[in-house]
Amino acid sequence: MRLPKFEYLEPRSLKKASEALTADPKGTFLLAGGTDLLVNMKHGVIQPKRLINLKAIPHLNYITEGKDGLRIGALTTLHDLASSTLVQDKYPVLGQCALEVAAYTHQVMGTLGGNLCQENRCRYYNQSVFWRSARAPCYKVGGEICHVVRKSKECHSTYRGDMAPVLIAMDAKVKLVGWMGNRTIPLKRLYTQIGKKPLSLRKGEILKEIFIPSPSGQTLYLKWRLRGTLEFPMVSLALHLEKNGEGNIDRAKVILSGLGTGPLEAFEIEKMLKGVSLDDGVIEKISNQMVKEISPMRTSIASPNYQRKMAGILLRQGLEKFKS
Amino acid sequence: MDKLNVVGKREVMLDAWEKATGQARFTDDLSFPGMLFGKILRSPYAHAKILQVDLTQALNVPGVKDAITGRDIPKKMYGIVPMAKDEYALAIEKVRYIGDEVAAVVATSVEAAEEAILKIRVDYEELPAVFDPFEAMRPGAPILHSNVPNNVSASIRKEFGNVARAFSESDVVYEDTFETQPVNHSPLEPQAALAIVDLSGKVTLWSSTQIPFFLRRNLATTLDIPESKVRVIKPKVGGGFGQKIDLYAKDFCAAFFAMRTGKPVKFVYEREEVFTSTRQRHPMHIQLKTGMKKDGTLLAQQFKVVADGGAYNSTAPLMITLACYFIMLPYRLENLLFEGYHVYTNKPVGGAMRGHGIPQVRFAVETQLDMIAEKMGIDPLELRLKNAFLAGEPHPGKLLVQSCGFSDTLVKAAEGIEWKEKRGKLPFGRGVGLAGASFPSGVSNMSHISSGAIVKIERDGAVTLLTGAADIGQGAETVISQIVAEELGVTLEDIRITAADTEITPLDPGTFGSGVTLRAGNAAKMAALAAKEKLFEAVAEKMEVHSKDLEAKNRRIYMKDQPEKGMSLIEAIKIYQYSDRPMPIIGRGSYLPPAKEPTTLLKEDGNFSPAYSFMTQAAEVEVDTQTGKIKVLKMVASHDCGRAINPMLVEGQLEGSVVGGMGQALYEDVITDKGEVVNPSFLDYGIPTAMEVPSIVSIEVETNDPEGPFGAKESGEGTQLAPAPAIVNAIYDAIGVRFKTLPVTPEKVLEALWKK
Amino acid sequence: MKHILKLHVNGEDFEIFTEMNKTLLEVLREDLGFTGTKRGCDLGACGACTVLIDGKPYLSCLTLAIAVQGKKIVTIEGLAREGKLHPLQKAFIEKGAIQCGFCTPGMILTAKAFLDEHPYPSEEETKRAISGNICRCTGYVKIVEAILSVNENQ
Ligand SMILES: Cc1cc2nc3c(=O)[nH]c(=O)nc-3n(C[C@H](O)[C@H](O)[C@H](O)COP(=O)(O)OP(=O)(O)OC[C@H]3O[C@@H](n4cnc5c(N)ncnc54)[C@H](O)[C@@H]3O)c2cc1C
Ligand code: SF4
Ligand code: FES
Ligand code: FES
Repeated sequence: MRLPKFEYLEPRSLKKASEALTADPKGTFLLAGGTDLLVNMKHGVIQPKRLINLKAIPHLNYITEGKDGLRIGALTTLHDLASSTLVQDKYPVLGQCALEVAAYTHQVMGTLGGNLCQENRCRYYNQSVFWRSARAPCYKVGGEICHVVRKSKECHSTYRGDMAPVLIAMDAKVKLVGWMGNRTIPLKRLYTQIGKKPLSLRKGEILKEIFIPSPSGQTLYLKWRLRGTLEFPMVSLALHLEKNGEGNIDRAKVILSGLGTGPLEAFEIEKMLKGVSLDDGVIEKISNQMVKEISPMRTSIASPNYQRKMAGILLRQGLEKFKS
Repeated sequence: MDKLNVVGKREVMLDAWEKATGQARFTDDLSFPGMLFGKILRSPYAHAKILQVDLTQALNVPGVKDAITGRDIPKKMYGIVPMAKDEYALAIEKVRYIGDEVAAVVATSVEAAEEAILKIRVDYEELPAVFDPFEAMRPGAPILHSNVPNNVSASIRKEFGNVARAFSESDVVYEDTFETQPVNHSPLEPQAALAIVDLSGKVTLWSSTQIPFFLRRNLATTLDIPESKVRVIKPKVGGGFGQKIDLYAKDFCAAFFAMRTGKPVKFVYEREEVFTSTRQRHPMHIQLKTGMKKDGTLLAQQFKVVADGGAYNSTAPLMITLACYFIMLPYRLENLLFEGYHVYTNKPVGGAMRGHGIPQVRFAVETQLDMIAEKMGIDPLELRLKNAFLAGEPHPGKLLVQSCGFSDTLVKAAEGIEWKEKRGKLPFGRGVGLAGASFPSGVSNMSHISSGAIVKIERDGAVTLLTGAADIGQGAETVISQIVAEELGVTLEDIRITAADTEITPLDPGTFGSGVTLRAGNAAKMAALAAKEKLFEAVAEKMEVHSKDLEAKNRRIYMKDQPEKGMSLIEAIKIYQYSDRPMPIIGRGSYLPPAKEPTTLLKEDGNFSPAYSFMTQAAEVEVDTQTGKIKVLKMVASHDCGRAINPMLVEGQLEGSVVGGMGQALYEDVITDKGEVVNPSFLDYGIPTAMEVPSIVSIEVETNDPEGPFGAKESGEGTQLAPAPAIVNAIYDAIGVRFKTLPVTPEKVLEALWKK
Repeated sequence: MKHILKLHVNGEDFEIFTEMNKTLLEVLREDLGFTGTKRGCDLGACGACTVLIDGKPYLSCLTLAIAVQGKKIVTIEGLAREGKLHPLQKAFIEKGAIQCGFCTPGMILTAKAFLDEHPYPSEEETKRAISGNICRCTGYVKIVEAILSVNENQ
């Protein structure tokens, strides 16, 4: 499967990159590790006229700690993240999560920025040109139909990234650089929850840095897939709890991947968790609620019913770990 | 048997260093100046008439040199089983599955070829399609091939013994239904072919094939040229497992375009094409009724098997026949009624895959045996031992079993998995299970199935071996060389082997039916013996002794009972030379498996194979009762392979096969949606990775088969028959849930546990 | 569009005139003749195409050739030094970790990068490290054995 033809640019600064991106926002794509983008290009679902290689830009690969938290350059690879002693010591869940992405080589190649900005997925979308020729083009590739939800007017493609849930649960912010200036937004707001255009990046904007405030409370990440490696999550769950002196939960974050058009926040669950102290009854009740809170679509080979069940089970497992 | 020097040793695979350094050349690694690259346009419809194909725009793409459709090729059908030919290299009038070949192009670059196939305009008239074999058999269902009006393209109904009577004499009768899924062989090397044509019009084809000589025949047929105008060479092949037995459009197209353009032409499949448009293990629906005596004696079995064959036949008649005959091994079963149907559907095509029709029925039998054992209160191991087939027993289908270590494999596997200590005794969520099986070592009852070999002893003592055997990664060349080295009393380093080139090497049927070691090994052994005898004659004359008193070992020829009396091999060669005997010293061997009445089993009973291997797989699993995930902790593979010519390679075969079987049990499933493969990639199709692999113990049970070279039989293929039922039986022991459909996914486990 | 591509592979500099949209895998195999690097899926899911770039394992089917100019690329052909096999190659050969050999180059190079980072790994870590490299022949048992054996005696 050959890559389509494109023009290739190696700007030396983010500013230059952003300018180039602005010049033709529809036809220009950013290349980081390429492990998501190149597959989509070979499948012909993304057809860039120009590719901007961000890896040529210096100083975007760093992990530093300030007094308010951790700063990670967008071009930092998942492997570097997992290997960093700083991360291992103070933000271990980040490293653990990075090790859950695909396999070793993908972690070496894949960047944190690329992971957060990866395309949504669907079993009718992540397929070759030939494969897709057996059906009418769907919304996501500019067509007029959705094969997953026949009556739908929109795309239900699914976000399956591993890093976003954990980072959102930890209240991460992202710094975006554009030709008109920079802005910092909560990572959560990077996601539009719109299948066709999952990211809220504006014209010319590039993700430059991820900021994670100093940790308070505990975070964990649980990923579910058929085999122990390679695969995207069928369901995954990041759970962040902050308890007060009496052991009651002050604040809870429950973010899921693989279930919706973006990383999904389980608001009802978070509400239910607030103020409680975890015992078997509470855990049982709250994890049963999960099934009601999510409604995944059949965008992968896993059945929605099963995904729902598994989300509840993961939540239960997570809460049990935090019980003591 | 005497002490052996080379046979039975853990010799390193002869070409391992080439493969470890990147020197090994597979088909796609070869190239020629001026080579063209080909691509195939495939059908996006499951069933449609081809009204018109317009190649104009494709031909206008810069770099494109030629393009063809089904109408441009000789109207010659092919198929791996001659009586079941039903395929053209490119579809002519209609397409029958998504992925069927419609047209092909060649260009100076892959890019141009890829661009061009998108520019071919095809007008189709869509036809109703059928995806379920039961629906396909109903009157009024869409018909795939006009000569098969009920879509049943191969069937078998056979009764052995008297089944009705046996059931009436049974104390207990059980009936169950089982289902297996389609499994893709997924050799890591995608199918590839490269052809050149010389001035005389002779085609030379390098192909990722398991059966060069069959391919030559099929290719000559489809090209409509004499067989002597085709030469097939097998370079290194990156695994096959049965998938590389068939001729594919890439073989035909490479050759046909080479003939049309006069240029070298290469076709390489994408991974997606391997999934959609090659072959897969037939999914089967199996109804099984078993009758037994109170004491556990197996009296009768009745099968109704419906195999979903997809759009074409491939090996259909043979597959369904093997499924039938191998029910009567490894257990004594005198009364069997087998009804089997191979049904066309508008889906990917079934073919031979490791075990060829047998793993599916084995899954049913071995699972049901455990169910029966439980109901009758008999230990499943005891039940199996009680009914285990023994060497020399009469077989209802007239298979001639001269060596059989089945009981031994059962006992050893049980020991390996700690059956006594663990079965029924592990905590909830953990369990052990086992299952048995038997497999042929090659096919005897077929025409032109003989294997040839030539052994030449060079003047410096080196040995040149020519064999037609096709090594596709299993190590056949190494094993055959070991056999020759042993016979000639030299070391493995002395052997230089040339294999699988239809122009240079003698005929060999190829790598299928697990016959290579036995068949090609015997031929090579005979060739070595013939060469040796020539040498012995000269030496005996010089030493004034009888040549039958001589022996060759350690590069020496000497008197058997007076080892110090003799000479080095080099000296012997000199003596031979100076005695004015014809040079070079060549021995010829040809092995035709013994079968009194050649039959394919398709029409009548007979001894299908020269020898039969027997095996037991035992598994220990752990089921996460919260999530339904199953982890296989340990597998024990005990295998009666007659004699392990190379224990390291046998172990490798067993380990690989076990893991493949584990894939079928737990992860692998070619899922289709209206005939389209939903998961045609390594990302979505669950081949086990290193993470899934349990500890594997291989136990070789040696029975020394009288027909096998140095007693050797099959290993590796048969091993894939029993892992799935062994695992499923272990799951039952762990959680008390019985699964009758494969694969057993966490989703199914969870559902079953919630129901419980 | 064509351009001049400069690559440093196995200790040698190469300069070729080729299309811009080529992956490293295509350039290695088709333009430079390093066919030891295998193409098993072309979509990043089998590991057969793994090469080392500045010592780290990369899937060459998902790497643009143009983007790795100036970097040190090592393919399986470049692993043996002065005719001496790398210990991993030796271990793979001797332990029977090679059957058809199609996964072998990628497997060995992934293992090399891994062992360089973790000289004394556990079995579990080793399995994880090669879990993106599919092998359909061996069942991985002997591969893991071979990798673990390399530093065992040191
Ligand atoms: C076999 C396989 C398995 C995989 N399994 C997983 C998995 O389990 N979990 C998972 O999360 N991912 C998985 N992936 C996807 C991918 O490998 C990872 O998400 C990886 O982290 C992506 O990073 P990258 O740098 O390679 O992204 P790229 O492919 O370079 O980029 C991805 C997207 O993000 C955009 N982008 C990149 N950087 C920026 C930036 N700084 N600012 C704005 N936009 C940017 C690109 O334009 C592109 O659209 C898998 C991929 C493969 C091939
Ligand atoms: S969800 Fe529907 S529209 Fe979106 S990619 Fe899948 S099929 Fe296309
Ligand atoms: S060919 Fe690159 S990962 Fe499969
Ligand atoms: S040895 Fe064949 S794929 Fe690994």
